[in-house]
Amino acid sequence: MRTLLRTGLLLTALVGTAWAQEPAPYRDMDLPIPDYEAHVRGDLRLSKTYPHWRDRSRLDWRLAGNPDEHWKLNWKFMDPPFNQAVHGGHFALERGEYLYKTLNRNGRFAACLGAGRAGLKGLRTRFPQYRQDLGRVVGLEAVIEHCAAAQGEVLQNGSYDNSAVSLYIASFSQGMPIRIDVSRGPMQEAYERGRRLFHTKAGRLNFACSSCHTRNIGQLVRGSHITTPYGDVTHYPVYRTQYFLQSLHLRMMECNLDTGVQPLLPGSQAYTDLEVFLTALSNGYPVSVPAERN
Amino acid sequence: MRPLILGGICLCLAGAGQASEWPADAAVDPNAQNRTLTPKVVVNSGRLEWEPYKRDLTPWPTLSHLDRRPTPRPQQANYDPPLRGDPARGREIAMDPARGNCIACHTLPGEPWPGSVGQLLLGYKQRGVSDAYVYQQIYDRRVTNPNTVMPPFGAFGVLTEQEIRDLTAYVQSLE
Ligand code: HEC
Ligand code: HEC
Repeated sequence: MRTLLRTGLLLTALVGTAWAQEPAPYRDMDLPIPDYEAHVRGDLRLSKTYPHWRDRSRLDWRLAGNPDEHWKLNWKFMDPPFNQAVHGGHFALERGEYLYKTLNRNGRFAACLGAGRAGLKGLRTRFPQYRQDLGRVVGLEAVIEHCAAAQGEVLQNGSYDNSAVSLYIASFSQGMPIRIDVSRGPMQEAYERGRRLFHTKAGRLNFACSSCHTRNIGQLVRGSHITTPYGDVTHYPVYRTQYFLQSLHLRMMECNLDTGVQPLLPGSQAYTDLEVFLTALSNGYPVSVPAERN
Repeated sequence: MRPLILGGICLCLAGAGQASEWPADAAVDPNAQNRTLTPKVVVNSGRLEWEPYKRDLTPWPTLSHLDRRPTPRPQQANYDPPLRGDPARGREIAMDPARGNCIACHTLPGEPWPGSVGQLLLGYKQRGVSDAYVYQQIYDRRVTNPNTVMPPFGAFGVLTEQEIRDLTAYVQSLE
């Protein structure tokens, strides 16, 4: 299985964009696709809950205490600084620090990640990004895997240790707004593919991400109220009891499995495109880790 | 590193020829009974472990760009009367999360409703809608409503013809 996994990832890198040339096979789309905005304020036109969670340090306690209304806070009451509890995310952060310092003894790991003069500060806010050397758009976890491999270490995308390092790196951007530019080049292409994928129906039941996350915001599904897709990525990787530490791509796998869609490997191009789309919807919203979710 | 990369290319070319296969970047173990895998995060490990998922999801289209298999287009059902359906069996299928799971979206009279994307299914007994119509809605509702959120149970091979007949009988029995 291990070889399978690695070949899968290499495949994505090698096959590159060969699929982009062929005509796409028939898919049902969840239409119409709304006018998403590549900024968190776009939620003012979608779920309109943004005013409730815009400022994490001043959330409305009354909403947080009401099980029918707390979804309007987009679960931000489980992020610091509102959430003061010590949870698994804090242990992961320590693990990430240890791993990072070991990997970066000679400074090569940081250089490979693309940390400039400012070091790790702000690095998280610039991912996903197009990497010239890799020839494609990649998320932070994919780059961590790549840069660890360059030193002979295995930090598979989605593994606890990979996410722990990602969390540690994100902690240096605490409070800094996400800032990715999807207005041109490969990032714009990835954003457009991601937006389309978000509305593409797939799997045994022919559901799209948007069937829930855009059309049914506020509805109860499997015991959780669905929240807006805006402002979601800034608390990833996140502590979840059944996952210990869940990267964004693992969350997509979970939503795929829950809706009868065969999941893809973490780091796959489709998940990366979805990540670009979702990250653009978090532009302007501050990173906040470590967070937990139910 | 090199042999691995070569392995990757070979695998890809082998997979590309077969349009019926799942894409190379799907989380699949081809040798397992339920080929679909679910990830298992192991604390303090740089490797992601995998477990078999409870159901094989490989037959249906994924979100992968490498997935060349088309989604079945909206399909007219070949409904052949008489109905030959059993409403009691139909009710069971409607409640079963692994089969119809109609209760996830529909309020069914006399059943406790778990609460989600709801639509009332009732009054068919009095409405006099044809069996063929109801059968078609379950088989593939996209024919009636191209933007429906209801899964095409027949066209996607999720339910068998007999199961759809039983469900039709059940729906037609609702007061
Ligand atoms: C059947 C409905 C459904 C579908 C379809 C679905 N999800 Fe979800 N998703 C949920 C629910 C319920 C939650 C938990 C509540 C919430 O945060 O909205 C969730 C949570 C998430 C989260 C976490 C949000 C956070 O703040 O941590 C992400 C990211 C996500 N989904 C992405 C996706 C993507 C991408 C797809 C398509 C591949 C998808 N979902 C498809 C129901 C769905
Ligand atoms: C994912 C949600 C969902 C599931 C699961 C689902 N349905 Fe539906 N169904 C709907 C919705 C929504 C409509 C009406 C609007 C539309 O087409 O989107 C509908 C419409 C129907 C209609 C047509 C109503 C009319 O008179 O025109 C019938 C009959 C029906 N469903 C039966 C079933 C049966 C039987 C099952 C289980 C095998 C089922 N549905 C499962 C969502 C669902």
